[in-house]
Amino acid sequence: MATGLATKRLMKELAEIKTKGTPPGIVLLNAVALDQWVFLISVLGDETIYAGETFALRLKFPNRYPIDSPEVTFLADAEYIPPLHPHVYSNGHICASILGAEWSPVLNAVAVCITMQSMLASNKKKERPEGNDRYVRSAPSNPKLTRWQYDDDTV
Amino acid sequence: MDLNHPMLLASDDPPPFPPNQTQLRRLDRALYCQICKEPFQGPVSIACGHSFCSQCIRSSLESLKKCPVCNETAGEGSIRRNRALEEIVDSWEDARAVMINLSQPQASSSRKRPPPQPTTSSASNDKVKRLRRDEAGSSRSQSPAKRSSGADEDEAIDISSSGGVEDEDEPVLTENDEGECPICSARLAIAAIPLHIERGCPPPKKQVNGSGSGNQKADWKKVFGGVSTAKNKDKEPMKRITKPNYHLATPAELKAILSAHSLPITGDKPALEARVQEWILLYNSNLDTSHPKSLPALRARLNEIEASRKRDKEKGKDALGEQLTTKEGVAKYVKERGGEFERLRKEVLARDSQALARAKGQAGKPIEIE
Ligand SMILES: [Zn+2]
Ligand SMILES: [Zn+2]
Ligand SMILES: [Zn+2]
Repeated sequence: MATGLATKRLMKELAEIKTKGTPPGIVLLNAVALDQWVFLISVLGDETIYAGETFALRLKFPNRYPIDSPEVTFLADAEYIPPLHPHVYSNGHICASILGAEWSPVLNAVAVCITMQSMLASNKKKERPEGNDRYVRSAPSNPKLTRWQYDDDTV
Repeated sequence: MDLNHPMLLASDDPPPFPPNQTQLRRLDRALYCQICKEPFQGPVSIACGHSFCSQCIRSSLESLKKCPVCNETAGEGSIRRNRALEEIVDSWEDARAVMINLSQPQASSSRKRPPPQPTTSSASNDKVKRLRRDEAGSSRSQSPAKRSSGADEDEAIDISSSGGVEDEDEPVLTENDEGECPICSARLAIAAIPLHIERGCPPPKKQVNGSGSGNQKADWKKVFGGVSTAKNKDKEPMKRITKPNYHLATPAELKAILSAHSLPITGDKPALEARVQEWILLYNSNLDTSHPKSLPALRARLNEIEASRKRDKEKGKDALGEQLTTKEGVAKYVKERGGEFERLRKEVLARDSQALARAKGQAGKPIEIE
């Protein structure tokens, strides 16, 4: 898809967030550029093991968005820690099929946030993925360059 | 980027229907492509029955051979132009402003009509009709289908005759009636104005009768392999381009495709490949619409896309991020994007004034003659 269309689509999504807002537990923190946004995500309710925690999810949109999926990571910096989750590496990379093989151009930024939120909501065990340290040591900075294997997960 | 940037305040969407008009909102939404979230442009359907803009689904199928909505396996071969859907989108685009106006009680157009004349007092007829129907039995369904199939002959006659009266009351504009474009003041068929504005006000097409220069003639000769008849003169060759096998294609073969379409043949193989791919996408999807762009316009679009890609590549995205946090940065970005923002802004403005112009036209003066 042409760059102009990606720009148009992103502006449309931003405008919609501005007028209609975001679902509960999801807040647009900033958009440092039209193609790079950060959302704050928290899981609401008492059932969750993440009660009281807030995570920052960064979306970078490629030129061919929405044909190509956005690059999505949890921020790992002085301020934010990626959630302890069997599909989230300590560098913020996420193993979720919707961000790779299952991406569809009919999805949008808010849909990605909702999926991440429900991935956290359904989790019962706070742990890092197997081989976290090994992966993080050699991981490319862009998680889309990693060859992901989606095993048990339904997200 | 500043979230209060004026670009974001001016919504790109045409004005929505009020929340209580759920049926109209649903109809409106149904005519949006799920990929670009815009009204269908050159709509096509694929094997599963889902529809998208031709260009949207063609790009998508290049990445993934599945329907983006239902995940069913899909290929480019299953793409079929959906003419009925295009007609619906076009006419809905025309009717939309009218419907919005009608859906707002205070802006009812009937109020602006002159008082009904005794012979054609459709308003009082309406009242009588409604009263009679109420008397006829409140338990009966009021849906038009049921009514017309009902046994009450009086009612059926009543309805059809009042329909005739209303037709006389409102002069019907034909598609051929001319109006002035509110943006560029060009005169063209009223029905064509919204699309003309949507496309950024291209000058209205004139019938050209054999006024081609010698040069053009030579060009056309080339295109048609020496056969140049008067009939062919203002027709573009309208055959879909078959995709080459990019793995096997040599740079020379790619260049042959490009030069056959009067496109630049500069660059290495990846650059040629990208250009061919983008061109085929633009060209083939342009064949799926009743409002095709001219070949020069398509070439200009290709050039724009390439230039924009190149800029993004040369400049780190992070640097761009920094840049957009300051006001001067935004201004610079806008300037460097070769007017992309400006173009979008104009589109937004055009849409707004288009809606306004329609609303005004509806209020009675220049378009609707009463
Ligand atoms: Zn589309
Ligand atoms: Zn489908
Ligand atoms: Zn115009």
